Amino acid sequence: MKPFYYLAILLVFFGSACRPNEAEGPRENYQQVILNELSFNLFLTSYSTLENRSETLLNTIKSYAANPTQNGLDLCRANWRATREVWENSEAWLFGPVSTESIDPRIDTWPVDFIRLDSVLNSNATFSNAYINSLEESLKGFHPMEYLLFGKNGNKSVSEFDARQMAYLVALAENLKQLCSELHTAWSPQVGKYVDELTLTGPLKLYPNKLSAYEEITNALIGICDEVANGKINDVFINLDSMGEESPFAKNSITDFTNNIKGVQMVYLGPDPSGTTGLVDFVRTFNLSLDARIKQKINTAISALGQITDPFGRAIFTQPIQVQNAVDAINDLKTELETGLLPLIQVHVK
Amino acid sequence: MSIKFKFSIVAISLSLLVLNACRKYDPAYVSETEEWFSGGAQTFFDETITGFDHIFNGLSPAEELAHEIGDKAFDQTFVTAPAPLNSGLGPIYNNVSCVSCHVNDGRGKPPVNGEALSSMLFRLSIPGVNPHGGPNPVPGFGGQLQPRAIAGKSGEADVVISYSTINGTYGDGTPYVLRQPVYTLSNPYTSLPSDVMLSPRVAPPVFGLGLLEAISEYDIIKYADPSDADGDGISGKANRVWDVMSRSFKLGRFGWKAGQPSLIQQSAGAYNEDMGVTNFIFPMESSFDQPQYDQLNDDVELSDSLLHAVAFYMQTLGVPARRDVDVPEVKEGKRLFNQIQCASCHIARHVTASDMAFPSRSNQKIFPYTDLLLHDMGPGLADNRPEADANGYEWRTPALWGIGLTRKINGHEYFLHDGRARNMTEAILWHGGEAESSKEKFRNLSASERQAVLKFLESL
Repeated sequence: MKPFYYLAILLVFFGSACRPNEAEGPRENYQQVILNELSFNLFLTSYSTLENRSETLLNTIKSYAANPTQNGLDLCRANWRATREVWENSEAWLFGPVSTESIDPRIDTWPVDFIRLDSVLNSNATFSNAYINSLEESLKGFHPMEYLLFGKNGNKSVSEFDARQMAYLVALAENLKQLCSELHTAWSPQVGKYVDELTLTGPLKLYPNKLSAYEEITNALIGICDEVANGKINDVFINLDSMGEESPFAKNSITDFTNNIKGVQMVYLGPDPSGTTGLVDFVRTFNLSLDARIKQKINTAISALGQITDPFGRAIFTQPIQVQNAVDAINDLKTELETGLLPLIQVHVK
Repeated sequence: MSIKFKFSIVAISLSLLVLNACRKYDPAYVSETEEWFSGGAQTFFDETITGFDHIFNGLSPAEELAHEIGDKAFDQTFVTAPAPLNSGLGPIYNNVSCVSCHVNDGRGKPPVNGEALSSMLFRLSIPGVNPHGGPNPVPGFGGQLQPRAIAGKSGEADVVISYSTINGTYGDGTPYVLRQPVYTLSNPYTSLPSDVMLSPRVAPPVFGLGLLEAISEYDIIKYADPSDADGDGISGKANRVWDVMSRSFKLGRFGWKAGQPSLIQQSAGAYNEDMGVTNFIFPMESSFDQPQYDQLNDDVELSDSLLHAVAFYMQTLGVPARRDVDVPEVKEGKRLFNQIQCASCHIARHVTASDMAFPSRSNQKIFPYTDLLLHDMGPGLADNRPEADANGYEWRTPALWGIGLTRKINGHEYFLHDGRARNMTEAILWHGGEAESSKEKFRNLSASERQAVLKFLESL
């Protein structure tokens, strides 16, 4: 063979090697692995955990209503916080049935309609899950339960609970459990099938390709950062109006915000940072410095929230620098996700 | 190269230049590239659940802030007055917040599987007109049924919805089933007149409305043909409605019967009627002359600035980009959509008016697929309730942009004014009146052609 032919073969070989990979290669397959891992082992699992914890909360409230003791009340409060923890984590993936089926407002609406709540408690109505279902969003979910469990100043004593409050609490907990079950079912494979949709195997083809699913996940991360920094924190902070604070009775607001950002961290690092798969594995394939920045900004945001040591409603007056730092750190993370992560996904995920 | 040859080249080049320069500008020309940009410069390539919730490009920082304030107000849940936060719900109402009906800035639906009535409401009236030619309110009930009430007050009535089935057949023999709703009022707090007229309405999407508001009145009226002078069977009629702020009649643009002239009046009306929240445009409680009236001296319950912010929020919500514009089946569907004359009312393209005061929505080439005019849609869809110049058979052509994202963003595909259609096909098959001919042409398409039309609609 003449040298010219060798040269031609070599050129064809290198030309092919440099061509973009049009078929599903290992890189594309791995993007699907990440999507499956997040969908099944983080999102779906979180709703299973939420359902389980809401059931535990229901059981402890039932026990407390039957036998009101300080230990029982402490347990109810601890389980309220434990259920709330998973819920706040899951606000980092606030898309799909939680939004389209209006489950979010039925679980987590602020403010509570206190005048209506008093009226309901003073009525002759029989409290049940069905009764709670018929009420407005401002009378169901976490916050009326929080108000009844913790009291206006967070120090309600066992002797302050009456039978009507106990009955309402039980009905509220039943309703919360039902909504968490609905949410879990809506995501479950073979049932509501949303997890199938997100992993591109569902019957409705809601997500035509991996890119659309990745964008959904990333937009949700950006959305929760925006909500925490510019809504939950800043609306209250710039107006110096603690009435807008969520979870004021349990003084749980800073924990709520932190759990929101930890939700972002879970999506980025994967369900179990020690070994499983998350967006980190996608980012590290292309851009190690972006990976380092995202990790650092998540950590900075979480630690900035940790610097707010007073309850949030008081911290807006007593720790304005720390509050502002938290807003800035979360907005910084949001910007990195918007200008670093999302464009990287849009370029490399098909 | 000879002088003669050089001269020829120069002459040919000059001729081409002159010919091109003299070609007439065609304002109706639409390139394939433009079709992706449904909202012109306010188009957003986002197919996720936030697809209907994008702030306009090109706003000033102050405008961005106003939009954000409006966005938050749109989500606020109102509670019973007096309250330190979001006070003023009711005393009678349909829902507790804007977003409760317009979930993700999208479309509402009728109750499904025993759900309570949430993102759907019912307008009421009796024969006759109000002092401004609008619907005549029902004594003791007003112009809208509010089934819910705060503690100690009674909702006006409940609505029971049932459906009967209507069987039909496509031209190729394939059967289909439609469902016809029947509405029954029950438990009225006081007796209802026997001649009450009821008009069901699901919450329409709220994105892109600022661009529709920016189309000049001239550009809408030019498509009107109320007496069908061109004999194509399609009339198109403008609604003229009372504008409260200017105290004059204006072109109706918003609502299922084009009963509202502006987004601020639409928003103010929804706060007042849907939530019972009084405001500077509608300062009187919807229950004012009824026993449910709260007698509180707290009106107006919504600040002027918040109402303006919410209206501005809606004025500055962008439009999702189209998908799959270049897919052959979608192109074929578009061709058929035009061929069977859907586009006679669902007019694809408009150009918004030049507006130096609002540059972000000025002079935009947009593709909403509506003429914003009223059309007789036949007895099947008629509510038999007039609203200003709209009679009981007429409905305003709804915009179709973004319709293909309804399933993902709103979790359902219930269409038409009362959500009776369970998918886009049923919505088409319900068309009657002026659209009967187009419906019949669709019905007689082959299965693959019908599928192409649906693929086109899904791409919007």
